[in-house]
Amino acid sequence: MNDSLTGTAPRGSRRRSFSAGVAVGLAVVLLIVGVGAGFAVGKYYGNSTTTAASGSCSTTISETGSSLIYPYLQILSPNYTAQNPGICLSPQSTGSGTGISSAESGVVDIGGTDAYLLPSTAAQYNLINVPIAISAQLVVYNLPGISQHLNINGTIAAMIYQGTITKWNDPLIVAANPGVSLPSNTIVPIHRSDGSGDTFMWSSLCYMSWAGWKQGYGTTISWPVGPGATGNAGMVTTLASTQYGIAYIGISYLSEIKSTAGLQYGALGDQNANYNGSVSSGGAGQQNYIMPTPQNISQDANLALANLQPPSVAISLILGGVPGATNLQLGKGGTNSTATYTTPYPDTNLEYTLISLEPKSTAHQKWVVNFLEWALTYGGTYAAKANFLPLTAEVIGYDMLALNAVPVSA
Amino acid sequence: MPAGEAPAAPAASPPVARARTDRWAWVGSPLALLPLLLVATVAIVLLVASGLHNFGGSFWSTRYNFLPGDPAGSSWGIGAFVAGTAITAGLALVLATALSLALSISIVVYLPSLPSRVLTILTNLLAGIPSVVYGIWGFVVLAPYFGFTLEPGLRDVLGWLPGFGGPASEIGPYGILLAVFILTIMIIPLTTALMRDALRSVPHDLIDAGLALGATRWEVARRVRMRTARLGIGSAILLGFGRAVGESVAVAMVIGAVPRLPLSLYSASTSQASFIFYQLDSAFFYPFLLRFLVEIALVLLAIALIVNLAAQRLTRTEIATATTVGGAGGP
Repeated sequence: MNDSLTGTAPRGSRRRSFSAGVAVGLAVVLLIVGVGAGFAVGKYYGNSTTTAASGSCSTTISETGSSLIYPYLQILSPNYTAQNPGICLSPQSTGSGTGISSAESGVVDIGGTDAYLLPSTAAQYNLINVPIAISAQLVVYNLPGISQHLNINGTIAAMIYQGTITKWNDPLIVAANPGVSLPSNTIVPIHRSDGSGDTFMWSSLCYMSWAGWKQGYGTTISWPVGPGATGNAGMVTTLASTQYGIAYIGISYLSEIKSTAGLQYGALGDQNANYNGSVSSGGAGQQNYIMPTPQNISQDANLALANLQPPSVAISLILGGVPGATNLQLGKGGTNSTATYTTPYPDTNLEYTLISLEPKSTAHQKWVVNFLEWALTYGGTYAAKANFLPLTAEVIGYDMLALNAVPVSA
Repeated sequence: MPAGEAPAAPAASPPVARARTDRWAWVGSPLALLPLLLVATVAIVLLVASGLHNFGGSFWSTRYNFLPGDPAGSSWGIGAFVAGTAITAGLALVLATALSLALSISIVVYLPSLPSRVLTILTNLLAGIPSVVYGIWGFVVLAPYFGFTLEPGLRDVLGWLPGFGGPASEIGPYGILLAVFILTIMIIPLTTALMRDALRSVPHDLIDAGLALGATRWEVARRVRMRTARLGIGSAILLGFGRAVGESVAVAMVIGAVPRLPLSLYSASTSQASFIFYQLDSAFFYPFLLRFLVEIALVLLAIALIVNLAAQRLTRTEIATATTVGGAGGP
C-alpha cells in the first residue's frame, strides 16, 4: 500500500535500512529489558536499606508486612520522629507473608507478621522475633433469641468447622452451656477467604484441641464446610446476615460486634484435654470458660512466657503455649499449671516484628533497635488507638533481652 | 487481559512525511516484537516457576485440599477454580450479551439521535469506572441486600429452577450471584460499544434494500443488521468473556472465595484470578502454595490468549467478508 504512494526508493537501500532498523530496534528492546532487569536486581539484591534522606529524615527505618500492625506503626511513627528528630519510620501494609519474605531477603529493616517465624527458620536467616502488641480471637455467633455469652471450647469449635457438629443443640454444646435452651438449627461456620493471621490463630486452636482435626493450621487452610468472607469487616457483615452462623473475628472488631444487632461473642474453654484422645460424650473435659477481657488476654501472654528462654521470643500463646514453641503440638495441656495466671484467654496471639542479627550496617541497625525499644517503652499509651492491648511488663522484659543480642554501633 | 496491540508500523503516509516515517521504521518495526517478547517471557517465567509440578491427572480434578503442614498429603486440583471462573464469567456473559444487544439495537436503530447519543455517552462512562469501585460497591452496599433480601426471595419464588434452589445454608451475602451481577455490569459497556459499532458498520445499501422489500425496522434489524454484523457481535462477546475471566479484584471482594464446586447460585465459590489475588500473601509462607498459584495463573494465561486470539480471528474474518460485498448478507 505504501509502495504505490512512495515507491521511488530503490529496493536495495530499502532492505539495508530495514535490517539496520532491526538492529537498532533490537538494541532498544535489549536496553529496555536490561534496564528493567537491572532495576529488579537492584531492588531485590541491592545493599542499600537506608533510603536517601527525604525532607527532614536523615535516617529512614523501613517496615513492611502485617496489615494488622500497620495502623499501630502509623500512629507510632510521627510520635517517634517528634522525639528523635531526623529519624523516620516508613511502614507498609502488605501482608504478613510479604513481611516475612522481605525480612528474610533483607530488603527491609523490619518485617511485620501476625504469625511468628519458626525459631529454626529465624536462625537460618539470622532474624529474631520481637513481639510489639497483643491480639486475640473472639468466637462470635448470630443466634436469634440468645443474647448471653455462650461457652465454646476448642474441641467444639474444631468439630463445628470440620462439619462433625452440625446443630446448635448438639450434646457437646448443650453440656458446655447448662441452663441455656439452644435451638435445633444448623450451624453455619464462616471462615476468612483471604490469607490472615486470624485464620492462623483459629486453625491453631482447632488443631490443638481435637485429634480429629484434619486441616492443619496456617494463615490459609482448606475449610471443609461453610462460606468464606473477606477481612474482619466481611466476617461481621456475613455473620450479621447469617442466622445461626458462627465466626472467628479479631478482638480489634469488638466495638463493631457490639454495635451489630444479633451478634454476641462467647467465652472460650481453657483446656485441650482431648488433644490425643477421643472426645467423650460428656463433653471436652473439665473446662474453665474464659471471657476475652484485657486482663485474661494479658494473663495468657504472661503464662506462655512464664517458662520461656530468650533470646527468640517466638511463642505459641494458643491454650497457654510452652517454651520454645518450635511446634504448636508442644502447646497441648497444662494450661492451669501456673497458679499465678488462673484465667488465661486461650486464643491469644502476639504481633511480631522481625529484625536481623546480621545487619548490613550496625550504625543503621542502632536506630532500628532504638525505635523498637522506644515502641516497647512508650507504645502502650498508643496501643488502644489501634485497638491493641498494651504489652505486659513481662513480655517487654523478654523483648528487651532479645534486642540486647542485636549488634549495633554508635 | 488483551495482548497488547503491536505499535503502529509505518502505514500509509503522505510523501512529505516520508523521511520521518522511514526513520520511525528503524525503531518501530522491531519494537513490534516487544509485545510478543513480553508474552513469551511471561509464559516462560511462569512455566519455570511452576516447574510443571502438579500438572497431571489430579491437577484437573475438582478436589483442592490445602494442608499447610503437609504438602504431599494436600490435593491440588484446579477444577473448582476453572469451574468457578467459567460459571461466573459465562453467566455474566449471557446476561451482558442479551442486555447489550438490546441496548445497542436501541441506540443504532430505534432511538432518536439525542437519547441515542446520551445513552452512548453513559455507557462509555460506565466503561471508565475502575473494577475495584464496582467491587467495593458490591462488598459494602449490595452484599447485605443479596444476603438478606434478594437471595431468600429468589429461592422462595424460583426454587424449582435448577441453580435457584438448593440448601438454605448456601445463602449469604457473598457468592456467585453477586459476582455475576458485578461482572455483568462491568462488561456491558465494553460489549455494548463493540456491538454498536458492528451494527453501525452494516452497509446502508443492504438496509435500504431490506426496507424497500417491505420489511419492518425490527425485521431489518434482526435479519440484515444482526446477521451482517454477526462476526462483530461474536468478537464483542469473546472480548467481554476475556474481560470477565481475568477480573480479579472485584470478583474476589464479592465471591466468598471458597474453592469448591458451588451447590447453587447462592453458594460462595471462587475464580482463578480472585483466588490468586487473595492467597498471594499467604503463599510466601508456603512455597508449594505459591507454585500452585503460578500454575493457576498459567492456565488463566492460556484461556485469555485463546479467547483473545479467537476474537481477533473473528474480527479479521469480518473485515474480509465485509470487503467481498454481497457475501455478507447471508442466504
